[in-house]
Amino acid sequence: MKNTLAAAIVLALGATSASAIAADTRINGFASVVAGVTTDEDASMFGYNDNISFKPESLFALQISSDLGDGLSATAQIMSRGSNDYAAEFEWAYLSYDINDSTQINAGKLRIPFYRYSDFLDVGYAYAWARPPQAVYSLVFSTFDGLSLVNNHTIGDWDSTIQGFYGSYDGSVDLVSDEDPATLNNMMGINWTVTYDWFTARAIYAQAETSISFENNEDPERLLNNGIALVGSIYPQVASDLNVDEDIGSFIGLGFAVDYNNLLVEAEFTTVDVEDSIVAKQEQYYVSVGYRFDDFTVYAITEHGEDTNEGDYDYSSDLPESLAITADYTVYPRTAYQTLISSQEETIDTFTVGTRYNFHPSAALKFDITSTKINDADAINVLSVGVDLVF
Amino acid sequence: MKFLKTKLCVTILGLTSVFAQAEIAVVVHPSNASAIDSSSISRIFLGKKKSFDGGGQAVPITQDASSAATDEFNSKVLNKSGSQIKSYWSKLVFTGKGTPPKVVANDAEVIKLISADPTLIGYVDASAVTGAVKVIAKF
Repeated sequence: MKNTLAAAIVLALGATSASAIAADTRINGFASVVAGVTTDEDASMFGYNDNISFKPESLFALQISSDLGDGLSATAQIMSRGSNDYAAEFEWAYLSYDINDSTQINAGKLRIPFYRYSDFLDVGYAYAWARPPQAVYSLVFSTFDGLSLVNNHTIGDWDSTIQGFYGSYDGSVDLVSDEDPATLNNMMGINWTVTYDWFTARAIYAQAETSISFENNEDPERLLNNGIALVGSIYPQVASDLNVDEDIGSFIGLGFAVDYNNLLVEAEFTTVDVEDSIVAKQEQYYVSVGYRFDDFTVYAITEHGEDTNEGDYDYSSDLPESLAITADYTVYPRTAYQTLISSQEETIDTFTVGTRYNFHPSAALKFDITSTKINDADAINVLSVGVDLVF
Repeated sequence: MKFLKTKLCVTILGLTSVFAQAEIAVVVHPSNASAIDSSSISRIFLGKKKSFDGGGQAVPITQDASSAATDEFNSKVLNKSGSQIKSYWSKLVFTGKGTPPKVVANDAEVIKLISADPTLIGYVDASAVTGAVKVIAKF
């Protein structure tokens, strides 16, 4: 696996040195080495279990960026994640062109700017937390193929950045299994951030034509798949309103951050919804409070997420309680529908305390304890210690 | 004990005199006629502003993190610690939104580069200023 990374680096370096005469090439990188463990047996969270593991959140990345002059540049970021057996993959690969001093267009494989920290999610050095709050940062797909237009301007004393993007995603999401094949077409969105000295506010709206397959459902009885098929055999429209097939998915995010006299306060609120589908409406928020003492930052985060599913119509009155197919065979459409819908409901509450220590100009050491409670299950505690660096 | 106290005293005096000496001068090419305030200087060095107020491209150059002038400049003008600056730029670098200023080794090199290029703006220890550059602000 390491050979793949080495090969990719050599390839990238080789390619740049061949053209180095014309282009100004920069190589930057970042890395995180994180060890974590859950305090309870038989519990797993963020990829950790009750044996100390370095794999789930450790990563190495190299970025090669070539300035071709006249505002044109090419950038590739190759990342090797422990969770992926350190196989090297292109995380970002894009061309960018400065239309003028304030407007830039990027084309290629880019990050979807769902959250305030989306763009630099993997660059642990760039933030105080061990990881962005996971109840909110819950969408597992993070990159798309397409275009992004970014404009920076000032409004009085405020800096304002508007980003519009358009593209598609073809990969997987984790809805009923860890890897449900998913396609998001005609993905588009607009993201606006304003900053005044110590205050930042941000809003984003995005939508996409969403399709998700449940073929990888690991439930041996495949209740979800069979349930939809059963309901669908009698009420095709109901099945179509459960399946995720070219349904409009939408995302709304609002956030703010304060960095005033070493006091750090941040919050984000997000909603995700896929209309006419079994996917629950997801609402989540976090509030983080921190304080910087020279090289130390301490923080506490509280998070809450709620996935609720009411169904698209009042099927309880539209669907009969029971339906006799033959004299010996009766089905219960209303119960089946309600069971399917409520199977997607979930509540998550998380509390975190942690600290970051800048022990070196390019590296930070982080300790973090996160306690997560999903529905009525016992809380799962994760301890992690990590080093983040940039070079 | 007495000896220790004397030693402490000397150390404290030594420290204050170091602080007093470290005045920072922001310098440009002698032909650059722009007037510039500290907020504009900060914006140029953070990549938020790309031209001088009088027009003309503004390209900042910084000094190595180990240079005393850098610490002074970061805390007095940018109002940030070294690692805050580093984290600021890592957010931009790894998202294609910006590139940190070119870094040079010391005061002499800043002066040499700026004396030959009207687009540049840099900072040096005030005592290192020569006639080859123009001081537009002191901190």
